[in-house]
Amino acid sequence: MTFFTIVLRSLTRRPVRTCLTLVGISIGIAAVVALVGMAWGYEKGIGKQLDVMGIDVVVSNMSGGLMPKVFDESLQNEVSKLPRVAAVTSALMQMLSVEDAPIMMISGREWGGFAWDKLKVMSGRLPIDGNEKAVVLGHLAAEVLKKKVGDTVQIESEELAVVGIVDGQAMVENGTVFLPLKVMQEVTGNQGKINFVDIQVPPNSPKSEIELLCKDIKVIFPEGRAMIASEVVGTSQGFRVARAMSWSTSLLAIIVGVLGVMNTMLMTVFERTHEIGILLAVGWRKSRIVCMVLYESALLGLLGGIVGVTLGAVGLLILGSSPGIRGFLEPDLSPKLMIISIAIAVVVGIVSGLYPAWRSSRLSPSVALQS
Amino acid sequence: MVAAAPTIPGELIYEAIGLKKQFDNGKVMALRGLDLEIRQGEFVAIIGQSGCGKSTLLQMLGCLDRPSEGTLNYRGTSIPDMRDPAAYRAHQIGFVFQSFHLLPTFTVLENVQIPMFEGKLSRSQRKARGIELLESVGLGHRLSHYPSELSGGERQRVAIARGLANRPSVVLADEPTGNLDSESAVQIIDLLLELHGKLGVTLVLVTHDLSVAERASRTIRMKDGRVISDKVAASH
Ligand SMILES: Nc1ncnc2c1ncn2[C@@H]1O[C@H](COP(=O)(O)OP(=O)(O)O)[C@@H](O)[C@H]1O
Ligand SMILES: [Mg+2]
Repeated sequence: MTFFTIVLRSLTRRPVRTCLTLVGISIGIAAVVALVGMAWGYEKGIGKQLDVMGIDVVVSNMSGGLMPKVFDESLQNEVSKLPRVAAVTSALMQMLSVEDAPIMMISGREWGGFAWDKLKVMSGRLPIDGNEKAVVLGHLAAEVLKKKVGDTVQIESEELAVVGIVDGQAMVENGTVFLPLKVMQEVTGNQGKINFVDIQVPPNSPKSEIELLCKDIKVIFPEGRAMIASEVVGTSQGFRVARAMSWSTSLLAIIVGVLGVMNTMLMTVFERTHEIGILLAVGWRKSRIVCMVLYESALLGLLGGIVGVTLGAVGLLILGSSPGIRGFLEPDLSPKLMIISIAIAVVVGIVSGLYPAWRSSRLSPSVALQS
Repeated sequence: MVAAAPTIPGELIYEAIGLKKQFDNGKVMALRGLDLEIRQGEFVAIIGQSGCGKSTLLQMLGCLDRPSEGTLNYRGTSIPDMRDPAAYRAHQIGFVFQSFHLLPTFTVLENVQIPMFEGKLSRSQRKARGIELLESVGLGHRLSHYPSELSGGERQRVAIARGLANRPSVVLADEPTGNLDSESAVQIIDLLLELHGKLGVTLVLVTHDLSVAERASRTIRMKDGRVISDKVAASH
């Protein structure tokens, strides 16, 4: 018999209560994994998209909601005149509900711009020119909308022909509906407007050069912002909101978990007052009894964490393959998130055990024995 | 009206002078100025009517509670002022209680090992020591039983084995036969006497069974929280 046997024994003596407590913590931890996994996945997806498209600097006016505000397309021309710019293209991107899909990324891209280069045609073709009233679908978008080449898709009030299905080489791209910028502007009533200017800088430009470019852009476009692609995810409003929301919801779930474990541990300490008296009488130090209670609650946390991470991972996989989300974000099931979640669970366990442990250490041996 | 302490050779183990214990802010006076000396190797029986303070005295001796007033020393060290009371309880004394006080969710062998966590034995040494102790109290065949599966007499044997786990020099037994039928009671006293003889532990035994007290080397009678007589048995 080891000390661990003793700790374990008190969890197995009331299996139903232990299981209910575990359910409590694991739901909290599952929520953490699912929510944070979605938020991280969203960020990672966007980061990968910019990377695949070969975008180095993004200019936009992020003060809007999830998608940036529109501005005049003349900005593209001004930006292209700046030094340290290799190529410029522009886009009008919106998230719209399309037919049965609740939300879908619609990307109107300047015809001839480098943003079209990375789309690999899987079937059909790309639009013939910048005026063709046609769309191509990322293959996940095609799956979600249940469309193939030759069908039509309704965006706002326009029926547009699906002329191609493409592989965009990034999850977000694959979930997107692409069309020429001009057509997008007409369909959404944004003639002459764009909300992104995407810039490529000369290969191997040092970061300091790119930062200088961003400063220049700030001068000609004071209400907007130029961001280095690798920093877009960390700084944008939308991501910060998503992050804050996922963590604050998680925090609530964690607090509920803490209360559950604390309640269980307090009950454990109270109902075992007499046994703690016995342990004190045979010479156990108070510190050993405190340890016993804390190990027990930490173990509850660890077990709850493992179950919770498993539940959360399964939930994330299910969410990730559901039609509304599929292709829109790639759930992030990184080992980092799992380890953080289990660590949170163990900390939850220990924190919840502190008060019960303190209560147990204050018991007087003679009083505890008589109870 | 304290009887003169009989002179028995041996090191002074316990020394109580004017020991008092109050409960409920002085409404209950469990000990009212008790004087006592106990020496190494003695078998002391403490008798007296229910409520005269016997259990309270044993709790003071075992450092489970603090006296309200007076001096109480173990080998010259003040018990209430001990820096490490847990170590004293773990290594110097073994407790045996009337209601056994075994842990219900642990087997007999595990119960006996509980005090050993305060010692330096390895896992396998603890187990071996536990088996050895249980064999010495005649329970070698009951190792993996739970306390609820044992008779009262057997439970008390387990408690005695547990009390001896860390080779204490004193065993404090509070009415160890109080919950037993007369046959088991005799066996338990036989066992305690045997261990007392074999291991040389000092045995302080509270009882109200006079036949038990007769087998002690010394009998202390208490009344109203004081010692009223202290007799050394003729045979000793
Ligand atoms: N924790 C306590 N609180 C209040 N009174 C107590 C407590 N413990 C013992 N007493 C009282 O102290 C007196 C002596 O008790 P005790 O030592 O248990 O007697 P004995 O063991 O000789 O029967 C009794 O009157 C008892 O009611
Ligand atoms: Mg008593």
